[in-house]
Amino acid sequence: MSASVQALEFEALKFRRAPVVRTVSALIGIGLPVLAAAFMAAATSGGSSQLSLKAAAMLTESGWSGYLAVVGMMLSVGALMGIGFVVCWCFGREFTEKTQACLFALSVSRRRLAYAKFMVILVWSLVLCLVTVVVALLAGTVIGLGVPGPEVLGSAVKAWSAGAMAASLACPLAVVASVARGYLPGVGALVLLVVTTQVVTAFGAGAWFPYAAPGLWMGMGGATAADAVSPLQLFLCVPVSLLGIAVTGQWWKNMQISAG
Amino acid sequence: MKTPAAIKAERITKMLGGLRVLDDVSLDVGQSEIHALVGLNGAGKTTLMRVLLGMLKPDRGAAHLTGYPVSGAGTTVWSRVGQMLETPFAYPELTARENVYSSARLHGMGRDAATSAAVRALSALGLAQYATRRAGTLSLGNRQRVGLAAALVQGPDVLVLDEPTNALDPRGVIVLRRLLQEACRERGAAILVSSHHLDEVARMADRISVLHRGRIIGTLQPGTVDLERRFFDLVLQADMQQQEQ
Repeated sequence: MSASVQALEFEALKFRRAPVVRTVSALIGIGLPVLAAAFMAAATSGGSSQLSLKAAAMLTESGWSGYLAVVGMMLSVGALMGIGFVVCWCFGREFTEKTQACLFALSVSRRRLAYAKFMVILVWSLVLCLVTVVVALLAGTVIGLGVPGPEVLGSAVKAWSAGAMAASLACPLAVVASVARGYLPGVGALVLLVVTTQVVTAFGAGAWFPYAAPGLWMGMGGATAADAVSPLQLFLCVPVSLLGIAVTGQWWKNMQISAG
Repeated sequence: MKTPAAIKAERITKMLGGLRVLDDVSLDVGQSEIHALVGLNGAGKTTLMRVLLGMLKPDRGAAHLTGYPVSGAGTTVWSRVGQMLETPFAYPELTARENVYSSARLHGMGRDAATSAAVRALSALGLAQYATRRAGTLSLGNRQRVGLAAALVQGPDVLVLDEPTNALDPRGVIVLRRLLQEACRERGAAILVSSHHLDEVARMADRISVLHRGRIIGTLQPGTVDLERRFFDLVLQADMQQQEQ
């Protein structure tokens, strides 16, 4: 128990101080809802510009629920990208910055340190997604959607859930960043994952692909495709995430340093 | 009765990338002893230290720390070990104090004990005025000092240091030498230290082993004159023997 606390304390301290975490927090927590609000404003402006027409096409519903669906869509991609980048950095930096030798000969095992990294990242992600939704509610009020009432809660929770699922799906990237010993290979895997998601979705199998399911659920493929996403398909993100965490933990336990 | 060695390598062999990096290496460090490992670049010093610290599994042979095999060493063993190999424990986003405090915590110290131990270790290495500075903003020499403070903070009785005087100024070298000698004298610490600098290890070590092409080829007597010549004699002799074979 005490070793877990020590590991969590250490990883949380590094995480709190990291500039990359602050940047991603600002981009997702503020940038993303502001962008969603801008899209919403463009979509409801009634203009005939290309931006207005494209933004209007993204809306599956009107009012708060349509706006929060846009927030959820953006969060399902943005959280995967942003949090995925943080996952890659958090694990890969130990190799890129050659601090991996500092993680040996300690009373706290490396597997525990890896789990502490995941714990810190996941807690931060869930809070960040919550902040994003809260800022989105404020931004929605600013663009004239009115004061959000209790009926908005369901849509807000749905948008947050999409972000939370994307965050959990970022965990397996730690395997790549660890095995390839650096954050850049992890970022490469993230880009490949996004491309694969597009291709799989284009072929119509998106709902069964855990990385595509949250976006589709939020309406990225239209209202009909959103309704077709089942709870089981959404739940698939849990075993994928757990598998990524378990494999990373095991790899960290057996990690060796054979080269400088 | 002879005290068992606190650090022990028994007939360790390790191949890396098809090369025999360590070849049947045996070495020990007793309590209250500083054992220096010297050798040319690529001799296998760092690899041997990695094996001793559980960073690398040997193909043959065994490593022991405080009498326990490294492969099965647990919390109690590691809490007594301090080490610095290559990169110092100096995360750039953390302050010097936070780095040293974190190292103490990860070695099992409580919060209060870690806080006071970090202050003492930083002060001992002349880093008191840099305690609240981010490690990333410190000079290379001061980052090295932070790493050394992190290795020494919990008062380990086993220390493995790979070229610890890298980037240190002459005062830093003297401070480190004094700290290691104190650790030996006061706590009975067993210290394995590697270096390229013969004059420097001659001043602090009780024993000097020469590692060359993955083999211990001889020892040097600290305090004697002409260590450099004796070192190169051993290296040349080993190379000639290898050529004959």
